[in-house]
Formats: sequence, C-alpha cells, structure tokens
Amino acid sequence: MIRDYYNRHALDEKLRGAPRPAGVNHLAIAHRQAVAMVLAQAGEEDTVQRALSQTTEFILRFCASGEWLVVSENDTPEGLQRRLDALCAGRAYIVDQSEARVLFRLSGPSTRRILAKGVGLDLHPAAFATGASANALCGHVAVNLARTGDDTFELIAPRSFAESLFDDLMAMGREYDLTAAFAG
Amino acid sequence: MASLITCPHCGVRPKEEFSIRGDASLVRPAPTASDEAWHYYVYVRANPRGRTHEHWQHVAGCRRFLVVERDTYTHEVHSVTDGAVVARENGR
Amino acid sequence: MTAYRLMAGGLVDRSRSLSFSFDGRPLRGFAGDTLASALLANDQMLVGRSFKYHRPRGIVSAGSSEPNALVTIGSGARSDPNTKATVAELYTGLTARSQNRWPSLGFDIGAVIDRFSPFLGAGFYYKTFMWPAQLWERLYEPLIRRAAGLGRAVLERDPEIYEKSWAHCDLLVVGGGPAGLIAALTAGRAGLRVILADEDFRLGGSLLSETQPIDGAPAHVFADRAVAELQALPNVTLLPRTTVFGWYDDNVFGAVERVQKHVAEPSAKLPTERVWRIVARRALLATGAEERPLVFGGNDRPGVMMAGALSTYANRYGVAAGRSVAIFTNGTAGYRAARDLHAKGIAIAAIVDSRAAEADAAPEGVRVIRSAAVVDTRGRLRVSGLVVERSGFEELVACDAVGMSGGWSPVIHLACQRGAKPVWSEALNAFVAPDVGGGLRVAGSANGVYTLSGCLGDGAAKASAIASELGFKPAQDVLPATGEETDPSFTALWYAPGAKSKAFVDFQNDVHAKDLGLALREGFGHVEHAKRYTTSGMATDQGKLSNINAVGILAGMRGVSPADVGTTTFRPFYTPVSFGALAGTARDKHAAPVRKSPLHEWARKNGASFVEAGPWYRSAWFPRAGEKTWRESVDREVLNVRANVGICDVSTLGKIELFGPDAAEFLNRLYSNALLKLPVGRARYGLMLREDGFVYDDGTVSRLAEEHFLVTTTTALAGGVMSHMEYCSQVLWPDLKVRFCSVSDQWAQIAIAGPKARSVLQQLVEDDISNAAFPFLAVGTVTLKGGLKGRLFRISFSGELAFELAVPAGFGVAVADQIMEVGRAFDICAYGVEALNVLRLEKGLPTHAEFDGRVTPDDAGLGRMVSAQKTDFIGKHLSARYGLTAADRSQLVGLKPVDKEKDIRAGAHLLREGMKPSTLNDQGWVSSACFSPVLGHHIALAFLKSGRERYGERIVVWDKLRDQEVMAEVCNPVFVDPENARMKA
Repeated sequence: MIRDYYNRHALDEKLRGAPRPAGVNHLAIAHRQAVAMVLAQAGEEDTVQRALSQTTEFILRFCASGEWLVVSENDTPEGLQRRLDALCAGRAYIVDQSEARVLFRLSGPSTRRILAKGVGLDLHPAAFATGASANALCGHVAVNLARTGDDTFELIAPRSFAESLFDDLMAMGREYDLTAAFAG
Repeated sequence: MASLITCPHCGVRPKEEFSIRGDASLVRPAPTASDEAWHYYVYVRANPRGRTHEHWQHVAGCRRFLVVERDTYTHEVHSVTDGAVVARENGR
Repeated sequence: MTAYRLMAGGLVDRSRSLSFSFDGRPLRGFAGDTLASALLANDQMLVGRSFKYHRPRGIVSAGSSEPNALVTIGSGARSDPNTKATVAELYTGLTARSQNRWPSLGFDIGAVIDRFSPFLGAGFYYKTFMWPAQLWERLYEPLIRRAAGLGRAVLERDPEIYEKSWAHCDLLVVGGGPAGLIAALTAGRAGLRVILADEDFRLGGSLLSETQPIDGAPAHVFADRAVAELQALPNVTLLPRTTVFGWYDDNVFGAVERVQKHVAEPSAKLPTERVWRIVARRALLATGAEERPLVFGGNDRPGVMMAGALSTYANRYGVAAGRSVAIFTNGTAGYRAARDLHAKGIAIAAIVDSRAAEADAAPEGVRVIRSAAVVDTRGRLRVSGLVVERSGFEELVACDAVGMSGGWSPVIHLACQRGAKPVWSEALNAFVAPDVGGGLRVAGSANGVYTLSGCLGDGAAKASAIASELGFKPAQDVLPATGEETDPSFTALWYAPGAKSKAFVDFQNDVHAKDLGLALREGFGHVEHAKRYTTSGMATDQGKLSNINAVGILAGMRGVSPADVGTTTFRPFYTPVSFGALAGTARDKHAAPVRKSPLHEWARKNGASFVEAGPWYRSAWFPRAGEKTWRESVDREVLNVRANVGICDVSTLGKIELFGPDAAEFLNRLYSNALLKLPVGRARYGLMLREDGFVYDDGTVSRLAEEHFLVTTTTALAGGVMSHMEYCSQVLWPDLKVRFCSVSDQWAQIAIAGPKARSVLQQLVEDDISNAAFPFLAVGTVTLKGGLKGRLFRISFSGELAFELAVPAGFGVAVADQIMEVGRAFDICAYGVEALNVLRLEKGLPTHAEFDGRVTPDDAGLGRMVSAQKTDFIGKHLSARYGLTAADRSQLVGLKPVDKEKDIRAGAHLLREGMKPSTLNDQGWVSSACFSPVLGHHIALAFLKSGRERYGERIVVWDKLRDQEVMAEVCNPVFVDPENARMKA
C-alpha cells in the first residue's frame, strides 16, 4: 500500500471554507513553509550569524544569543535543512521546526495599534525598525515577532497555541475590522 | 517589583515575560561538600530589605537566566546580567 | 424652582437636546452636559441618601472628587452602580437611579436612623454589636449591611467587552488644563512622542470654566485651538475620558479609558473600557488643585456646594445651582465665584468670610460679613438659609444655594503612590508633591502655582526642560497673554467653630468633626488610626475632599502642625476602576491559552470525550454506541489493548532535542540513572530528581546519534523540565557544550499498543520492525509507505508490546486515520488517557500521582535508578541523607479489596485493623486507584510504611471523604505480567 499523507494545517478548522476578501487590515496565514531552528555551537555564534546573513534566500529571525529561526518560502523542510547544513558547515545544529510553528502575517495601517493590545514592546519604528525580530509575549503566548515593513509584522507561534493566538489576534483586531485567510 | 526589565539580549520588556526562580547568589556545593553546606544551599534563604540578586528567566524571550540585581524596598533595578556570564565569573 | 438653566452661555450645545431619566422621571439636557449639570438644570439637587444616616444629599462638586452624587446608571446586566453624576457624560437614553433609599429619594424610611445618630458615633459597630459573638454573622452584619450602603452590584454576567493596550511615549501629560495643554504643545512641537490623558470628555480642564481671556479670546477657545493643533501632530496621542489611576515602577502608568461609556448603543467592535499601560520616559502631572470644603454645622444640606463648582456649572454648563447664593469662604476664591455668578445674573445673598479684613473685592452691592462663621443651615431636602455667627451674634441669611471655599489642595496622588509622602508647605497651607526624581514632575496648580499665567508658564517650562533632557530642541515660544490675575491666597480654616449641628468632614462615609474628636480621645489620634476608626476617607471617593480637613482637625486637636499629623498612604487607584476593565480580554476562552494536540481533530472525529490537562485538551475516552457510562468505554478500551491493539495520542508529552559533545555528560548529571553509555539507537527510562533528593520527573532518553539525544518529559512538567535544563546548562554548568531545543510541537506522536501492534504497524512502515530488528527500547527513523519519514520508539506505558510513532505534526491526523483503517482487521480501537491510566496502574507504573514531591526513587520502587557510581547529578547529595533512606519510609505497594465488590479511591489513608484514624496511626495513603477490567475488581497503588515487607498483610483503607472503610490486601504493585513477557514480545 502506497499512500501520500495529507498535511493538515493547525488552523484548518478556523480558516476552512472559501477565502474571504482581505480587508485593509489583514491576517494572512502561511500554509506551507519550511522553518528551522539554528543553534550555533559554543564559540561559533558570530561565524554562524555571518554565514546565515550572506544569503537572501530565506528570512532570519533572532531568538536568542546564537539561536535563530530560519524561514524559507521556497524550500522543503529537507531542502532547508541541507542548505543550512551546507552554510553553517558543522558549526551549528539545525532542527526542523516546519511543523512546529505557524506563521501569521499581519498587515495594514492599524497593525501597530492591534499588536499593542498584546505586545509590550515599543513598536515605534525608532525602537523596532523594519528587519527587527525578537521573541516576545503576545497576550499569553510567546511568539517570535518580526517587523517586515512599515505596516507589516510577522508572528511565528508554536503550533499547539495557534488557535488560541488566532482567536486573540482576531479579538485584538476587531476594532479595525481585521480579516484573516490562508496566504495565496 | 519592577514593571520593566532590560534584558541584555532582548531589550526592555514587561515583567510578565519573566519567571523568577530565586536567589542568584547561591553557589551549588561540590557533591562531596558537607551536609550543612547542602542544607544551606537547598533550604536556607535570606529575605533582605535592600539589594538582592535574583535569577529571572526570560521565558517569553531569549529563555536566558538573568541575574537581576534589584532593591526589594525601592524596587530599583541596578543591573541585569546574563546568568552564564555571572556563573563563569564566579568560577563555577 | 431654584436651580435652572441660564438663558444663554456655557459650552453645552443648546441645539442638541438629549432625553434621559432620573428615578423614572423623564428629563432633558444638552450635549456637553454631565448628568449632574443636567440634573441641576432640571432643579434636581437631591441625588442620594448618605451611607450611614440616610441624610438627604445633593451634588457637591463638578468633578471626580464628588462624594455624594453617586447613582446607578443603566439597567439590567448593564447597570453601573456608584457612578459619579458629576463626571458621567450625558447621552440620549441614559437612565439613572438614586441609591440607598427606600421607598423613594424624597421619603426614605431609613432616615429614621439619623434620629438615633447620637448613639451611632465612630466605632459604634465595634462597641455595640460585640455580644453575643454568634449573632454577628447571622443578625448584626446583615442588618447593618442592609441599612448602610451605596449601589448594588449586579449579579448577571457582564455583557460589556473590555481590553488592555500598551502605549509608549517620551512624555505622558496627566491632565488637560492650562498647564497640561501647553506642556503637550511644547513637547509635541519639539517632536516628542506625547500622550495627553484627561479624565474629562472635553480637554481644557479649568479653561472650560475660566472667565479670564487668553490672547484676547475666551479661555476655552484657546483650549480648543491647542487641542486642534495637538490632534494634527502625528507624534501626539490625545486620550480624553481617560483617568491615569496609577503610577508603577519604572515609570509605567495605568490608565482607564471610557471608550464608550457615554453612548446609548455601544458598538460591538469597541470595548466599553480600555486599560492602558503607558510606558513613559517622563511624565508631567498637571492635575490641578482641589478646592476644599469647609467643615461647619449642617454643611451636608443639599444645595451646599463647592464655590468653584458653582462657577463651573454657571460658566461651562450654563446652569445656575440657585437663585440666591450665599458664599462661605476663607480666601479669595469665594469672591471670585461670587463675581462669576453675579456676572451671570445670579443673586449673591452674602459673602461670609472667616477672615477679619481682606482686600478682596465683592461684586458691587454684595454684602460681606467678615470675621464670621456659618454655624448651621436651614432647610430639609434643600438648603433655605445659613445661620451666621459673628462676635457672638447669630443671623439668618436666606439663600437657596451655598458655595463654600476652604482653600486649595494640589492634586498629587500619583506622585505619592510609590511610597514617597507628601510634603507640608506652610506657604501654601497645603501638602505638595514630594521630589520623586526626574521621571515624574508636577506643573501648574498641582505644583501650587494657582494663577493662570503661572500655570501656562510652569507647564511650558517643565515640558521644555524635559524635551531638552531627552535630546530634543524645544522652541522658545512666547507664552500666551493672560488678563489680570487674582491673588489665590487663603487663611486655613479646618473647622468653623460653634457648630450647632453635625459638621461633616467626610460626606460619603458620614464622618463628622465630633467623630474625629472621639477617635482622638479613645487613642486613635494617629492619622492612619483615625481613618480606620472613623472610616474618614475610606469611601469610594477615598477622601478627595475630606482627607485634608480631617488632617487639619486632628492637627488642631493635637495642637501640632498638619506636617506632624501627615497623610494616610496613597495607593492606586486614583478613582475606582471596574473589575471588567482590569480583567480586560482575559475571560472565557481568552482567559488562558488552550493548547491543542496535532491529533485533536482525529480524536474529535473518533468521538473522543476531552479532558483538560493543564492547557491541553486530551482525549479521555472514546465512547461507542450503547455505552452509557465512561467506565464502560474505558473497560472496553483496556481489554481491547490487552487482547488486540489500540492507539492513543501521546503528542502532549514534552520532547526536547539535545546536541553537542557534552550532551551525554549533561544528561548524565541531569538524571539520577546512568546515561553515558546509552548506545545510539536505544532509549532508556530516565528519572530526574530535585536537588533535595525527591523525584522531579520521569521520561525517556533516546540517543539518536553520538551527540544527538531526544528526551521526553511528562505533559504536566514539559515547561518546567525545559526551564530546569536551561538553568542547569546556563547557570550550573555553563562550560558544558550542549544546545537544546523543544520539538514538542513538531511531532504528532501515536502510541500503538497491544499484542497485534506490530502486525498493524508493519503494514504502514517500510522498515523491518520484527523483535530481532527492532527490539524493546529500540529507537530509529522509519519510512512510512509512501515516503513519509517518522521516528519510531519501542517503548511501552501499558505493559503490552508497544510502539510510539512520531510523524511531522501536520501529518498526524492522516497517519492516525491510516492506522485505524489498516487496524480495523485487527480490531483496533482508539483509547484515551483514562484507559492509559488503567493500563499503567495494572502494570504498577508510577506517574505524578505517585511522584507528589514527597517521594524518593526508592519509595517508588525505583531505587536502582539512582546511580551509586556517578560522582554527581542533581539530587545526589541530599538523596543519601538520613530520613530519605530510613527503613520505615512509605513504599509503593499494590492494594486489592478483600471484598472484590468494594472500590478504593485515591486520597484515602491506610490504617492497621482496629486502629483509630489519627496522624500517629497513619500507615500511608492511596495515590491512584481504578477498576481493573482485566482482574475484574478495583486495584490501587499506595504508599505504605515499610510496604515491600508487608505483601499479603490486610490493611484498612480509610476514606473519610466518603465515610467508608474498606479492607484491602497489600500486594506487589505490578498486577499484570510481572515478568514483562508481553512488553518484550
């Protein structure tokens, strides 16, 4: 018996049905992406960071000293693993997190005000500029938060918390008519 | 209790992102140390009015154990240092 | 009619008439009114009954210090008790009800209490209702509670929504009066991120009732222009209707915004109230000053108000509180109010001045009675006259409203909320803010600067200094021009002598001057004692008007300065904040996050009944048609696993991967058993101790590669163990080269257990999983047919032949579905955590029901898991100490009821036969129990003193909760397959 197994997204229940038109303030959920945790070996933190910063083929998210989440839109989980192994050349441990994380992409003119309802960080561009990323608390859930543009942020959350975080984000965005759908 | 802690890795964060473990001035005794040394390490705690060193883990951030030096009376935070840095300095 | 709407004037919008009701009476007001101004415009001065004596009370103030005008607004679940009419914004359809009166506000039966008031002084409850003690709860307290009180809380569920938000700024300005507005302008123009918060619905503060022009225009026009400019600045956030209630560490402020308290039909998109947590680099208090009431006989008669409030009602709201107003003052402010009212055509009956000779000018034709005091008032539900005493002669001054002005107190609460005490200023005759460092500064009247030009100058200067400090370059703007200033001085008068009736200090809690005297005589003269003995300052207004007079009276009686008496402690909240606002969104499903297993949907499809386990929902059992009780389902699931095969979701277990050359050494120090020599491709049971020698957690340790491990933790302690590992790695052994990462969310993990487990699984995986190729405790990567990669563990928590298959989380449901499909031929069933619990109990395997923090490895029968060879591991030293190794410690045993029909429940204690239950006679306790469908009777795991030597003994299981005793036989805790033949098959 040969079979292809269906991959179920953590938010399938929440987002099932025809995609609604995106509003001005919109929450897009990436359906498939490769995510890996990179853990630099002791003493190799700077080398690994330099190596990872060389390429533009994936997005780097700061988690902690010597620890990054790497997100790739194009790679498979295995492909990303291979690419990172090659880049880091044995100076870091790569852990596949593609199934462990859910990526939320929040965009629109009110994103900062929406996020302020759950995130204690100062998200003013002077304090958290485009390109900045950090682990932070959003409501009750620890997420990785990144600013990807003036009015766009990405949150990477643990899969098991995805429904709770989704409910919280929608409540936070209610004032600004936040819509949500799977991305593309 | 401070409202904000300046994490050396993540910047200024609300206290809700942290979990407090307790006295950071204790040094784990050698396994062969005396019963008394172990007793003090595990059970005996001072409750000072004034400066203390505590381990605060940035659980919702970098997950590092930080040594927070703060005043239990004025609530002033004097310093926040990575726990491993302090541990190495103490020669543990 | 006495109080009325003036023909013209005021900042209300006379083109927008709003209908509302008070105690069922339909009334009309204007947009821009508060409930209080609209009530006055309708001649409704009487608004409530007092807390203790049920005395009629009227509106006193025009702001948030109001002690009397507390009403219930709204109806049903949406009613808000104890709302201050003086700050409640009028809207169409507002319904307000008076409180603490029966049957009506005008005729209140409870008022009879006032007749007995000579017996109801301070401390009356404590003295009178002392005996017999048992009557307190049943009789006295309910009686007192019914007689005294304010509004009633609603028991229905609150339908409103609330939320919280963070905000960050360079400068928070608290208060939107002259000092606050100009400070916000100065800082905003310089480019600072500014937040300006004001409790009023309209920004402007005293400018809205100010008669002095600014730059040649009315003061409110200046305010409107300032607000318009601030609104246009992108770096400025204006928060009207927002009370900054607390100042917390690190210059974090709490504020509550009444987002839509003032609308009849709230939008479902918006919260009713929003709590702001404002992180401010600097803050400026521009909270103004509070006019003090005067303490004189009969000063609580409705119609006796603050002089400044009379001005505000006339100037801002176009409302006259009376047709003939008398003023009682000890300073200039009383004259100013008289001028304001006179200018509006309101007659001034007289100005009663406590001072002998001052230069203050009364309006033309108004009589001034100097060196005089009011000793009593006339009237019942409304003041009709003042009894004025001068040089021993009494005179009745007829009036229908009274303005009292006792000087000024800067509003400095926020500055004193973090421990610093207010400082007495002899020059100002007032407590002023202490120096609390640069983070929080005070400007304008709150800083004791009482003139308009002074407020504008002080606000601008403070903001300018703050801007410079923060590296901005403020422009040197020319200050707006103001008119002629009046001298704000006054002579302190804490108590008008010769009172002929009660002279109230605290209106809301019915504390009068004599109560304070009684407190002092009975030894409660310290300000904190006097407060609690008399309840002065303990009402919902927290003594905003009364505290200063209480301090002054105590000082006078003790013959000391108010500086020596001091103030009571200031704490958040400045004004009451609803519980709803403080809870924010944290209720119902938003109260705590729920974690869902990647197999949740599979379990749901299979009809699982879920149970909460910490943040998780776990499948508890899977009822089938015809099963009436949970036990029927669980028994079937257990028997099926023992006879055939079952699958269970174990994804919630904590899973942590470790890497590095020192990973093995790290684990060897973390666990009590030896792990250094664990071969690649093998798993081992691991036991973790706490440093005190007791069991912390257990799980499995698998070696995936030489420097790559995977450990599992229990569901409950997944977070705790992760933190513990981080502590050990970062703080205890920072030089060990190890890195780790939680992979709990990456994998869906499925236990497949039962004699047919291998047959089912072999149909799904490419790899050889025979006993020879994949023996007990083998670990490895497997490829599912179709190519999906997973991890397979041959571990068992049921005592059966079992595997745990981990697949990437998103594939979990599909793989579980497939297992069910191919398993159908083998009579597979899904089983939940209840069956899992029975299976492990039958096998005698301990869990956290056994590891309750008081249990050593040896107690649990796991003594062999503590390595004697290792030089160090967490818990090594103290696990060997005296007491933890004593022979009479309670040890894990099994229990079987002698009468097989009887059941045993966890929590019961063990006694020798014939012994009375007592701590001394206690022989142990039952940690877990269940019905074993395999054995056909109940079984239990228990801890019994020296238990392992006592197999075969009979013992009493004493269950006080159910008042039941059961005789049980002590046995080996492994009830099923003690040789492990099934597990290793």
